[in-house]
Amino acid sequence: MQLAVLILEDERPVREALARDLGHFGGHVRIEVAEDVPDAWAVIDELDRDGDRLALVLADHRLPGTSGVDFLVLLLDDPRTVHTRKVLVTGQADQQDTIRAVNDAGLDRYIPKPWNPDELRSVVRDQLTDHVIEHRLDPLPHLQALDAARVMPLLRTRGDR
Amino acid sequence: MTDVAPSLPTLRVIIVADGALAAALTDELGAGADDPIGGSAHLTGIVEVVQVERAEEAVELVSATTAEVPLVVLSGRPGGVDHTIDTLDRAPSLRRASTLLVTDRAVHDDAARAIDGDRLDGVIAIPWTAGALRLHARSQIARWLRAHLPDDPRTGSLIDDTERPLELPDSEMLRDLEREPAAVTERLLAAIERVLGPRPRLHLPPGIRLTHQGEGVNGVLVVLRGSVALDRSTRVGDLRLHHGSTGPVVGLLSLAQQRRAFFTARTTTDVEVVHLSLEQLDRALRSEPEVGAAMAAVSIRALAQRLRRSEQLQVEKIELNRELDAERERLADALHQLEQARLELVEQARFATLGELAAGIAHELNNPVAALDRAASYITEDLERLVTSHPQGPALAQALTTARDRPPSSTAEEREQRRVLEAAVGDRELARRLLAAAVTDPDDARRLATGPAGEIALLEAAAGIGTAIRNLEVGAARISGLVASLRSYARPDGDPVEDVDVHQGIEDTLRLTAHRLAGARIARDYDEVPRIRCHPGQLGQVWTNLLVNAAEALDGEGHIRVLTDAPDPEHVRVRISDDGPGMPPDVLKRAFEPRFTTKQGTVRYGLGLGLAIARRVVEQHDGRLSLEADASGTTATVILPVAGPADDTTSRPQPPSPGG
Repeated sequence: MQLAVLILEDERPVREALARDLGHFGGHVRIEVAEDVPDAWAVIDELDRDGDRLALVLADHRLPGTSGVDFLVLLLDDPRTVHTRKVLVTGQADQQDTIRAVNDAGLDRYIPKPWNPDELRSVVRDQLTDHVIEHRLDPLPHLQALDAARVMPLLRTRGDR
Repeated sequence: MTDVAPSLPTLRVIIVADGALAAALTDELGAGADDPIGGSAHLTGIVEVVQVERAEEAVELVSATTAEVPLVVLSGRPGGVDHTIDTLDRAPSLRRASTLLVTDRAVHDDAARAIDGDRLDGVIAIPWTAGALRLHARSQIARWLRAHLPDDPRTGSLIDDTERPLELPDSEMLRDLEREPAAVTERLLAAIERVLGPRPRLHLPPGIRLTHQGEGVNGVLVVLRGSVALDRSTRVGDLRLHHGSTGPVVGLLSLAQQRRAFFTARTTTDVEVVHLSLEQLDRALRSEPEVGAAMAAVSIRALAQRLRRSEQLQVEKIELNRELDAERERLADALHQLEQARLELVEQARFATLGELAAGIAHELNNPVAALDRAASYITEDLERLVTSHPQGPALAQALTTARDRPPSSTAEEREQRRVLEAAVGDRELARRLLAAAVTDPDDARRLATGPAGEIALLEAAAGIGTAIRNLEVGAARISGLVASLRSYARPDGDPVEDVDVHQGIEDTLRLTAHRLAGARIARDYDEVPRIRCHPGQLGQVWTNLLVNAAEALDGEGHIRVLTDAPDPEHVRVRISDDGPGMPPDVLKRAFEPRFTTKQGTVRYGLGLGLAIARRVVEQHDGRLSLEADASGTTATVILPVAGPADDTTSRPQPPSPGG
């Protein structure tokens, strides 16, 4: 089982830049990209087939047809994604959307565009670590993508079993 | 029997009664066929008296003749007073008749309609004093003739023993009431002087106070000549309440209120008055009945005048209140319009400021964008030179170019390509890296996977540079486009511009408002349309308002269709439709009313203000803007003349200059 990160962004240059900035995680975490919401669901289906676990979604706030916030809300209704951590990456969220993302979609973080790549990676590492700790997953296979100091206690308690 | 000209109609009094009462009435009124209602015989021969038992018979009786009926005397039986009169009223000549009710009942509850319809002229109780009924009937007939047949020679002959016209009253007071006011005053004074002897006349100039408001009054003044005004001092100052309606006896009414003067009476001309102390007045009243009658007549007349004046004032007050209400409404309306105008001005000023800001930003952005664009091509040139010096130059150059020129593909297609590579090399991460290195051929992938370890990393870097350069170029081009749109959108207003492409303006607006249109799918249906003469910046505002309104109507998801065509060679038509819920008719009706709403504590310019401004701009272009809505959505239609606004005076009105 691999932890997966999904990037949902409709603009190709931005999508490519996000994926490249997260290239460091390659090999330890599965990075997937989707340009719209239907394709995002296709990715979720594929992850499910492969037995991988969607740990984190980075979604743009503005997408054609539906807003990224709507998608994040829908994730809560799917057993495969109910525990997925959610981060909004956006250039222009008005206050109302942000409030809704936090209140209704259980938004975990908010990254403004343009982003700093180190910060982006740090947020992703934190979120993955939170996900592993929260669900008491075995951190060992994903250790390279996690905050080692924070998962140590988990490693020890799991070792005690 | 007096001769009556054959052309004159017969006059007939009808008695509707039966039994003993009928006989008694016929006896009282008829008094023998030769002397009906005679009394002193002056009615002799003028009217004849007919008796019937029921109202229906009376109707039958008159319908057969041309006789006039000045009077009906009825008993109200059978069926009651209202029923009897309703029946009589079927005949026009009976409807005009005066009506006397003769009754032995103590209470009547059957005469409401008759009173309401003014159809009952007198009520006589049984038994009546012999002759009284006849007298009553005589006066009624005389008054009826005076009113209905004034030119009839018989009318003039209706006088009593003293040559007094029969329709005039007999009592001193009622007669005084009908006399000229000065005559009554004279009679009053004459009566007083009969008791007190000649009274001295007082001559007074204008401005003399005859009574003092709130002070005691110990006598009255009879005004023989001149005018007296009644003033009262109030919270809102001294008010003149009566002048024409003062009446000839000043101070009399104060007797009804503890002898305190309610008014200050003041002469307004030279006057001649006679002063009477209370004692003198008392003595005169006691000794001479005519003083009382004349005093009563004078008082009643003065009171009636004052009452009429007060009633007239009441009517005027109500009229004024109505006018005040109407005025208040007009004011509220004016205030509303003023507020709208203010909001429009605020919006205009805001747009003008934004326009200047946008033009400035657009200008400032040009340099960095040009630098970005050039930098991208310099990097490309320099890299090409660098790469050729590398041992794997051609392969690296190939990867760079492929990545840079890679056509857009969907993320699903990219995953499919990755899957193919994964099948070839058996490792998903390796497949991802190969794809990032612009490798798509499975054979190349297999060869690279088994080749030297650093080769893929090198190719990946080269392809990464290619992708970065492409994104630089795309980004710079996009910013250039935005800057160009911003400049044309925010173009300062001047003279109308010739040869403007409406589509270009709409596209600029779509690009600049993309963030407001999130969620809406835009469908363009552009027809060939002529270029027009217009103010492009102002039209940009129109497109912005219509597009943003459409997007807000969708509330998240739906379609906006922009359709252009030329309905005739002189006009261009732009229709912007959404498939939202459509505006309810009452909202649609008020959609152009400027107003603004506050939402979440910030002032937002509402739908209406935007539409009001849009419509004004379109109308200044001699065009038309209309809205239609039904359950399938809302459509805004703009029709613009190709020739543009008639002249330059139609450009944006300037805010009023101070002191202007």
